[in-house]
This record gives sequence, C-alpha cells and structure tokens, in this order.
Amino acid sequence: MKLSPPTIAFEAPAPEVEPTWSEAAPIPPPKPKSRLKRFLRHPFTWWVLAPTLLAIVYFYGFASPQYVSEARFVVRSRADAPQLSLGNMISAAVGGGGTSASGEAYSVRDFLTSHDAVMRTHEQLDLTRIWGREDADIIARLWNDDPERMTKYFNSMVSVSFDSSTGVVLLRVRSFSPEDSKAIADTLLRLSEQLINSLSSRAREDALRIARHEVGVAERRVLDSRDALTRFREQQHELDSAGAAQAAMQTMGQLEGTLTAARAELREREAFMRPDNVALQTTRNRIAALEHQITAERARHTQGGTGLSQQLAGFERLMLEREFADRQLASATASLETARMEAQRQQMYLARVVEPNLAVHPLYPRKLISVASIFLGLCVAFGIGWLLVTGMREHAV
Amino acid sequence: MSGSGSEPLLIDCARQQVRVIGALIVREMHTRFGRHRFGYLWLFFEPLLLGAMIALIHGFRGGDSVRNTFEFFSIGYIMFFAFRGMINRASSTITANRGLLYHRQVTLPDLFYARHIIEAVACTGVMAIFTIAGIALGGEPPDSIVKMLCALGLMVLLAQGIALVVGALTSEWEALDRLVHAMSYLMLPFSGLFFMVEWLPEWMQAIMLWVPTVHIFELLRDGQFGDRFRATYDLTYVAYWILVPHLLGLVGLRLARQRIGLE
Repeated sequence: MKLSPPTIAFEAPAPEVEPTWSEAAPIPPPKPKSRLKRFLRHPFTWWVLAPTLLAIVYFYGFASPQYVSEARFVVRSRADAPQLSLGNMISAAVGGGGTSASGEAYSVRDFLTSHDAVMRTHEQLDLTRIWGREDADIIARLWNDDPERMTKYFNSMVSVSFDSSTGVVLLRVRSFSPEDSKAIADTLLRLSEQLINSLSSRAREDALRIARHEVGVAERRVLDSRDALTRFREQQHELDSAGAAQAAMQTMGQLEGTLTAARAELREREAFMRPDNVALQTTRNRIAALEHQITAERARHTQGGTGLSQQLAGFERLMLEREFADRQLASATASLETARMEAQRQQMYLARVVEPNLAVHPLYPRKLISVASIFLGLCVAFGIGWLLVTGMREHAV
Repeated sequence: MSGSGSEPLLIDCARQQVRVIGALIVREMHTRFGRHRFGYLWLFFEPLLLGAMIALIHGFRGGDSVRNTFEFFSIGYIMFFAFRGMINRASSTITANRGLLYHRQVTLPDLFYARHIIEAVACTGVMAIFTIAGIALGGEPPDSIVKMLCALGLMVLLAQGIALVVGALTSEWEALDRLVHAMSYLMLPFSGLFFMVEWLPEWMQAIMLWVPTVHIFELLRDGQFGDRFRATYDLTYVAYWILVPHLLGLVGLRLARQRIGLE
C-alpha cells in the first residue's frame, strides 16, 4: 500500500533554527527578510516571549517589595495528658485521632481566613491604608474596600496553615512594609487569643451551668422537705409521731395486761365467793371499765383521718423525703466539684511559639520563580496550541 | 501551511477536522460493534454490566457505611473502566487504522480523538444511568452534578494525554504494549477507586496524592457525596498531568507519522 507522503509539519520549535514557518510569498524574494524581522513576526514571540518580557518588566521594574511577618502558635488545653478512656482508644484506633485541642486549632485557622477576622482587623488597623498605600505597585495593591473583595485579598496576603502532626499553626502575613506586616500579625494573634478564650470560657460555663442547676434543685428539695416536716409537726402538735405511736402502744399493752389480770382475778374469786359478793361485783366493774377503755383507745388510734396510723404514715413519708433530699444534695455537690475540676483541666489557651518578626529583607514577590513559571507555562500552552493548530491545518483540502 | 499563496482559513480546517473525526467515529463503531441491530448498545452494556456487578458484590459484602453503597463503586468503577480502556486501546489505534492514513486529511491524533469521544460518551451515559439507578434504589441524589461531570471530563483528558504518549511510544516499540496493560491493571488499587484519601494514614496520604487519578476520584466523590467526606484534591496538579502528556504525545505522534509514512 502506498501511503501518502507525510506532511512535514513539525518544524523547528525555536525560531532561530530553520525558519520554515514564515509565510513565504509564491515567488520567494531573492533575499529573505532580516532575521530580526522574521523573529518579530513569529507567533512564539508574541504568545510566549512578549508576555514573559512583560512579566520580567513588572517583577524587576515595578513590583514593590513585600515583607513577610511570620508567627507560630499552638492551641493547648490543660488536659494534654491523654485520657485513657475507651472512646479515646477507639478514635485513635480508627485513625480519626485528634484531641479537642487540635479541633480548636482548626477552628482558629478557619477563623483567621474568615470575613470576621478581616473586619475585626480592619476596625483596628484600617487595612485599606496598609494594603492600598500609594507607593505600592498598582497590580499588587488593594483597590476595593468592600468586604468580599477585601476578604479575598486578605486571603491572598495572609496564609494560615496547620501542621496536624505537631499541632503548630503557622501564620504568615505579607504587606508592603515590615511594620505593617508585624502589626497585622500581632492583631491576628490577639484576635485568635480572644477567640480561644471565649470558646474556652463558654465550654466551662456550659459544663458548670448544668451542675450548678442540679445543686440548686437539690437544695430547694431539702428546704422543702424540712418545711413540710415542720408544718406537719405544728399541725399535729406532736414533735415525734413515731414516739407518740410508741407511747400509745405501751398504753394499750398496759391496759391489756391489766384486763387480763382482772379477768384472772374474777375467775379466781368466782371459785370461792358467792356470786352476789361485793368484791366480785367490783372486779366485774373494773373489767367492764377496762374493756371500754381499750375499745376507746383502739378507735382513737386507728380511726381514719386523724388516726394515729395515718399520722404515722405521713410522718414516715416526710422523713423519707428528707433523707432522699439530703442524699441528692450530697451527690449534686460532688458532681459540681467534679465538673469544676474537669472544666479547669480542659481550659484552653493559645501559646505563642514564635512571635511575629519584623522583616528586613523582602521575600516577595518571588521574581525568578514567577517569571520562570510564567515562561514554562506559556511554552507548554503554546506548544499544545501550535500542535493543535497545525493538526487542523493538515486537514486543508 | 507551507506557503501555498492562498492559505485556507483556520475555521474551514477546523470544520474539516470535525467532519473527519465524525466519520472516524462512525467507522470505529462499525468495526468495534459490527453492523448488528443492537450492536451500538453494547457500548453502554459493557461498562453497565461490569460496574453493576462490581457494585453489587461490594454492596452485598455488607456494612452500612457509604463505602459499601452502590453509587460509590458503580460510578467510580466505570470511570476507571473508561480510563483503562482508553489507555489499553491506545497501542492498537495506529495499527488498526493504518489504511486510513492513505487519505491526507486523516491525521494520527484524529484517530485517538474519535476513540476517546466514543469512550467519553459511553461513560457519561452509563454514569447518568447509575446515578438515576442509585436514586431509584433509595440513595440520595448527588450533591453537585457539575463536579461529577468535571471529574469525568478531567479523567477523559488525562487518559487522552497518556493515550497519546502511549500511542506514540508503541508505534516505535511494540513491546511496550504488554507493559502498559500490566501497568493499567496494577494501577487499580492505587487509583483512588477503592478509598478516600481521608481514610488513609497520614504517611500514605502524602504518597497517594502524587497519583493524578486520586485527585479526580476525590473530585467525583465530592460531587457525589458532598459534605459526607472531606475531599482533598488539587486540580492544578491534575492540569499539569493533562497538559504535559498532551504536549509530549502530540509531538511524539508527529514524529511517529514521519516514520509510518516511510514504511
């Protein structure tokens, strides 16, 4: 099979070598145009070299230096000693490890990149003055002061990164003067400290509030039960219903004993006395009186409502209530104490590892890296574009 | 191109290229699926069956976590299936269509584009079917369909870049074909299909994030499940992986074309 001759389309990538790309006229001029002219007409010059040149001019000519201020801090809780609890062990085994303090560090990181942090810093420092100053170059300067764009710009100038293995949060602030960078970094650190403190006190308050509430309830219950007992005593005119019942029982016992003795005496006397003997009659009278008395006593103690049994039941209920209330108060006080200790242990604070520094040498903009990456990126893009375009051109009928 | 007084407009050339690719697609469908009545439907059936089977096996193996749901495996698997298919077929693209090169308008990249468009369409169709099936089976609708389509597009572009390189290389060294097949199978566990980066230990995460497909799968799952996972992906890195192989592959194909012409 005869294949079509390949189109020779892959020409020299660099313009200096073999400039076959030039749009030669049907009748080529006797002498090709000067090298410079051909170089200037090549698309590579326009699409790659010219933008790179612009970048070089900007970065080396105009770009105003940016100074970095760097600070590092950790978020610590007093409970840094790991608690050997089942929950911790499971979470560590699953790999979702991470103590509460690292969670707080994440929230600090999120706070520092949020509009809230931007606005609070803006209130204290006037960011438009710092980042929009006159001597800054026009490309890197902050132009708008509406919150959304300022947040965006803020996030391009401030970077916060959290190293989860060491727990250190790294804060880097760029601006056009060393003092401004340091001021912003200081303010941000202070805001973070406030945030951590408020989070910490909020958590402590939450933990203690429930325990305090429990103690309050228990105290009220104790007072109520004492009151009820006093009221009951006043009502019944008796200090100790249990004692009263005891006394009544004793009375009954004595009466019953006397009655039994009287009956025995009657039976004994009947054996040898005539039935109409006076002494016998006396004994009978006594027995009748005793029986009457016993019935009366029994009725008095067991009748519903005011009966001694009711009184005793009420009294015992009140005593039980008082005992329960005392126990509840004791346990509530103990758990309040535990909660207080726990809260103290979990208190978090922000520890500064590296204080914000005052830069001397401007680290940004990174001129060489920026220019080189622009050049390389454009080269790759141009290469692909050129290949695609020549690929298309091969389809010409 | 090379100095013929009245050069045709670029737009006409582009139109011509689109026509060529369209014709190549039709031809490719004929050669691959025959002229049977339901032949073209195999384009969808093949990944559909495979994805459904894999997903069902994993689904029945138990567990309530999202990891074992139908959507997690079915959609992920067909994307990997498309990726692997494109790379594995790359080596045969040139040899299978050598005869077509007789026509001047047919260029080597056209052959690849045509095949990749077929794969992309099949993958999109099956993905839509699986998404609807997932919702019908009681799953939640995807969080962001745009992200899923972006992931699919990036996956196709990545596979296209690698396929161009593989096509250029295999036209020179035939033996490389075997290696590519083996590599594409061995890549399966590291592709990000079976895991989310979040689930891995820290030291492994750093290694896995060097693999470009992991980023794409993370993007896919971000679109599928939204906030239920913390997805970690860097699309700039994926863009490097797309652009550089494209450049190398297109250059390689131009070089290869000269050799093929000389045979």
